[in-house]
Amino acid sequence: MEYISPEGLRLDGRRPLEMRQLHAQLGVVDKADGSAIFEMGNTKVIAAVYGPHEVQSKNQQLPDQALVRCEYSMANFSTGDRPRRSKGDRRATEISLVIRQTMEAAILTHLMPRTQIDIFVQVLQADGGTRAACINAATLAIADAGIPMCDLVTSCAAGYLNNMNYMEDSAGGPDVTVGLMTKMDKLTLLQMDSKLPMDIFETVMQLAIEGCKAIVRYIQNILLENTKQLEYQRGLRS
Amino acid sequence: MTSQAALAGEIEVEAFRRLYPLQFYERHLNDNVRPDARPLGRARATSLALGTVPTADGSAMAKIGHTQTMLAGVKLEVMTPATDAPDEGRIAVDFQMPPICSPDVRPGRPVDTAAVISEQLFSVLASSGVINLKELSISKGQAAWMAYLDIYCLDADGALFDAALLAAIGAFAHLRFPAVSMTEEGKVIPLSGDTVLEDGNKEQPKVQEQRQQLTLGKIPFSLTCMLHKKYILADPTAEEEKIFQTTITVVLDHSGRLVSFYKPGGSALASTSTIQDCMALTRYRVKELQKILDEALSEMEPV
Repeated sequence: MEYISPEGLRLDGRRPLEMRQLHAQLGVVDKADGSAIFEMGNTKVIAAVYGPHEVQSKNQQLPDQALVRCEYSMANFSTGDRPRRSKGDRRATEISLVIRQTMEAAILTHLMPRTQIDIFVQVLQADGGTRAACINAATLAIADAGIPMCDLVTSCAAGYLNNMNYMEDSAGGPDVTVGLMTKMDKLTLLQMDSKLPMDIFETVMQLAIEGCKAIVRYIQNILLENTKQLEYQRGLRS
Repeated sequence: MTSQAALAGEIEVEAFRRLYPLQFYERHLNDNVRPDARPLGRARATSLALGTVPTADGSAMAKIGHTQTMLAGVKLEVMTPATDAPDEGRIAVDFQMPPICSPDVRPGRPVDTAAVISEQLFSVLASSGVINLKELSISKGQAAWMAYLDIYCLDADGALFDAALLAAIGAFAHLRFPAVSMTEEGKVIPLSGDTVLEDGNKEQPKVQEQRQQLTLGKIPFSLTCMLHKKYILADPTAEEEKIFQTTITVVLDHSGRLVSFYKPGGSALASTSTIQDCMALTRYRVKELQKILDEALSEMEPV
């Protein structure tokens, strides 16, 4: 199977370093305090944030900061075949932990002690890069909820090609997922599968970081538009 | 200054609504109207979009009002039919309420509502005969389709069953069977445009008469109403469902015949006239929903 055609195009017509088309929308779940839909090509993820609210189990309450909880789940029709996913799915638990810790690093938890913030992410369509899409959607949802963050966290997955879809991902090559706090230029998440020589690793990581920076530009535009809309509705700007 | 006074007045109304919800609603009901300006018998604006999930064989998204959203997807898998029904397929219904849909749903604590609605949906789909199970058969006695219907509530705002049923019907209306063929040994293989038979393979795959989509029989449509003293409120929001606890769900097919009637207890008792009023409201709603379904089907790309 050829992943790059002789003309230099990938399976879906992109160039090797090109990202998929991004699309995001805020405030999609009315009942949630903050919510967002994030699409990267055919991967579509919806995130909802509830909080800050009272901690459910008092013994887990933290006296000096907010408790952040995250749950990741995939819809049964999101992938090509329909696996019967049990609730204790190990992959879902691992990804939930990854998203939680990534967002915890960005949220200013010390401003909201003894509270709980719930982040729920649901994958509606999966075509590679679900972990990255979930983190991007969670960032947008937290911003929509008005929860203070020290920086926007964006995430992108790359291998030899940037922002791979499901076909390229299953090829068995390396897969590096990076979570970046863009203004501070610091990494919060770095995960890699498969084998990669050290010198190529640098290049691949740079590729993913470029992807993150492109996504943060898009997210900043979306948030700016959203704020303008809110200002119009409040009558603060004509 | 006036905007500040208006804001203060608004906060008082909000506080009254939170502290005394029943009185708040009764003040509205006395004038035969509800806080969102609907008359008592009117349902919220409904929309149905087909084909929203490309990875599923059939999918639909139903929205009632601005907020109530359901996403339904049907995935087909091959199975061997049961011995007592060799020319029929099967349907499995799973309705889930993920924690994103409502602040009342917490992870780790499954909600009863999801299981109840799952069961209701399955019995309505089975008893209404909307889906002819024989159409799900691939080859008698050897292979048939198992249709897994998954419905996810993305935003819960009352009358979950109505939206779920509409989304389920939409998903089945949109369903396209993948092209398959059967080998001599009885295995079902997908038929793609560029399949090349190996030279050594002398056996010709039996290509079945491909059915493209399901023909839906009597399509069921539903309306949930709430009872409170002498008032009947059609299509309740989540707030109304919490305050008035008695619901009646009526399911009619498009010719106006009764498919299902569900009144699970509740403090308000229904007299015969109340039941007939509910059915009349449902009959009107069925016409609305039929039009919405037809519009959605016509917008779909032809096969």
